[in-house]
Amino acid sequence: MTQLIIYSPTGTYEVEVAEGQNVRDALDTTEWRVRAACGGVGSCGACLVQLKSGEASPLTVSEYQRLSVEERAQGWRLSCQLRLNSDAQIYLKQLAKPSVWHSIPVADLMPPPIKFREIPEFGYGVAVDLGTTHLRVTLWNRRTGQRVASRKGLNPQESYGADVLNRLDAALRNFETAEKLSRLVRNSIIKAVRDMLAREIGEIQLMLLEIGQVMIVGNTAMLALLTGQGYADLLNPNFWQAQINCQPTNYAAWQAQWLLPHAQITVLPPVAGFVGSDLTADLVATKLCSRSTAAFLLDVGTNTEIALWTGKTLLITSVPGGSAFESVGIRNGMPAESGAILHVNQNETGLVLETINHEPARGFCGSGLVDAIAVLVATKVLKPSGRFAQSTGGEGFALIDGNPYSVIMGSDVDSFQRAKAAIASAMETLLELAKMSWYDVERLCVCGAFGRHLNIQNAQAIGLLPPISPDKVELNADASLAGCELALLSEESYALFDKITANAQTFNLSLMPDYENRYINHLLLKPIR
Amino acid sequence: MIENIIKAYNEAVYETDKEAAFDVVNSALAQGMSAEEIIFQVVIPAVEEMMSLIVKDPDANLAQHFMTAQIAAEVTEKMLLLFESPPEIIGCIVMGTAAGDLHSLGKRIVMGCLKALMVEVIDLGVNVTAEKFVDEAVAHNAQVIGISAMMVHTAMGEHGCPEVRKLLKERGLEDKIKIIVGGAPYRYDEELYKKVGADTWARDGVSAGKVIVDLIKEVKSHVTA
Repeated sequence: MTQLIIYSPTGTYEVEVAEGQNVRDALDTTEWRVRAACGGVGSCGACLVQLKSGEASPLTVSEYQRLSVEERAQGWRLSCQLRLNSDAQIYLKQLAKPSVWHSIPVADLMPPPIKFREIPEFGYGVAVDLGTTHLRVTLWNRRTGQRVASRKGLNPQESYGADVLNRLDAALRNFETAEKLSRLVRNSIIKAVRDMLAREIGEIQLMLLEIGQVMIVGNTAMLALLTGQGYADLLNPNFWQAQINCQPTNYAAWQAQWLLPHAQITVLPPVAGFVGSDLTADLVATKLCSRSTAAFLLDVGTNTEIALWTGKTLLITSVPGGSAFESVGIRNGMPAESGAILHVNQNETGLVLETINHEPARGFCGSGLVDAIAVLVATKVLKPSGRFAQSTGGEGFALIDGNPYSVIMGSDVDSFQRAKAAIASAMETLLELAKMSWYDVERLCVCGAFGRHLNIQNAQAIGLLPPISPDKVELNADASLAGCELALLSEESYALFDKITANAQTFNLSLMPDYENRYINHLLLKPIR
Repeated sequence: MIENIIKAYNEAVYETDKEAAFDVVNSALAQGMSAEEIIFQVVIPAVEEMMSLIVKDPDANLAQHFMTAQIAAEVTEKMLLLFESPPEIIGCIVMGTAAGDLHSLGKRIVMGCLKALMVEVIDLGVNVTAEKFVDEAVAHNAQVIGISAMMVHTAMGEHGCPEVRKLLKERGLEDKIKIIVGGAPYRYDEELYKKVGADTWARDGVSAGKVIVDLIKEVKSHVTA
């Protein structure tokens, strides 16, 4: 990792650049994108930056072609060709127009699979993971098995409520709202595709004609709102364990709206009312059901989906996570972006906070919240009941004196306790249904953005994760996108979706007599026994 | 001795430490206190203390409500088994979640507190039809029907509280059976309970205990008068 400081007319920023990564790719994962129109092959010359200090890779042939002698002498480079050998400083004269879309860091994406489909025509394809908070979209050349680009942005339905139920409710009350919610997401999907085409290929209209497939996974509620199908059933408990039909009725209209006349549109069907195809995608990507030993999978989010593979059968359930695991449910919650508190540690001098890009703390992302609560419990600032040892008078506890963005509220701890108790008691219930114990579990996959930077020991200390040896815990933050990509690229993986859906047994915990007792017992901030 | 027991028990409840609470109760039994004394001198005052504290404490949270109510209910259940004669019950409530609603935890807090306050609680479970609320209330001679709804569409839904009200009216039961509602939607709109035809509502599970006890007393005085 090298540190890159960017000076621009709008301010000074700091970004980490991975070894071997070019500067443009590093900037594309942040809010400070350079202008671009060729996909980083050095042919458009739009991504100009001026190297002020630091050691960098030598000029490439493209740069000799694009830059004048004078420009080269002044240190101007094409950021897509520029790789850093040391910490560096650059001047960025022209940022691209601010965009809601960022690239997904390559480290968070799965390596492309080796086997591909035979694609006779329209060789490009799009994979979409439709989450409650975020939308992740990747563009593929299916012939070569190459991921052309990735984009991540907010789900535009957020303005109708961070909570899934609020959005379902809004749709149910008014048909026009339902239509609008569907249209918002469809617009976002195609905008992400167009952004990728514009920046990575430099050609939109003709390339749209080359897209032969759009593959979509998501939680059931998001798929229902996307397609305008089945959202009324979702609010009816009798459909909780039933298959909900989320297939769009009018593909032709989507193709027309998206200007994708050749795209086959596939919405991978959810397993049941509150278990979506994002979970199936997780299972496909992690190959959870491939071994003969027991394995758990959690997809942590506003609705946490949980699967237990016993070695023979697959048990599935889901629990409400409230919004504790999404940035919106916590006073100072935020996504894992610049300035987010990533980790909290305690040493002799006090609390040590690590923030993303070493910016001043702006709030907590998931791992920061877990660390903060664990450290506060360990240092007895918080009691296992979730109460502050010394009343904060409702003001909360500041990890950094004087920084209001570092405050943990009593209500944050409460949301977290209830969310983690729901997960722990759900896992325990599935274990008991399978007549197994924690000792039998050989693998635990934690999916969802929440788990990306999770400190496993801390998560175990406060009872979010069960007592399974940390080396058996895998953090697979983007597994549902990876599973969707596999379905796009491989016939075999696509077929797995149906197989998993057909064989899964789903359980509604509200109907399990012992669930509530378990839940209450798991509220304390203590390790799971 | 009793002061120490009360202090230790209150502390355990405040810390939501169920094991500690049971340790206090067991040692009180070992020291010769009767189950009746423990309930009326230790457990019930602790529940009442908690009700007043929770209203004042800006840091108190829902997780703690769940745990304290659970302790109250479990301790009470255990003590009731040891009672020499059946305890005098204040009255009866049938409780459930509204049609279409599976969120059962809110009513659980209420039930835990009510058990400790010597109110008989008939749990009708989740997703309860209006018909069932009324039939069960009649069958158990309940003074109150408690309907919990955590979602706007179940709080307002025609098959929830409004239908219970309609049935009570049709069957001429409105003087004998009162309705209390609770759940998040009623907090956002403090007039909502009236719109759906309930007699009253409570802001949280713990304070619902007192509202329900008062409601039962009101019905009883009305019926006997």
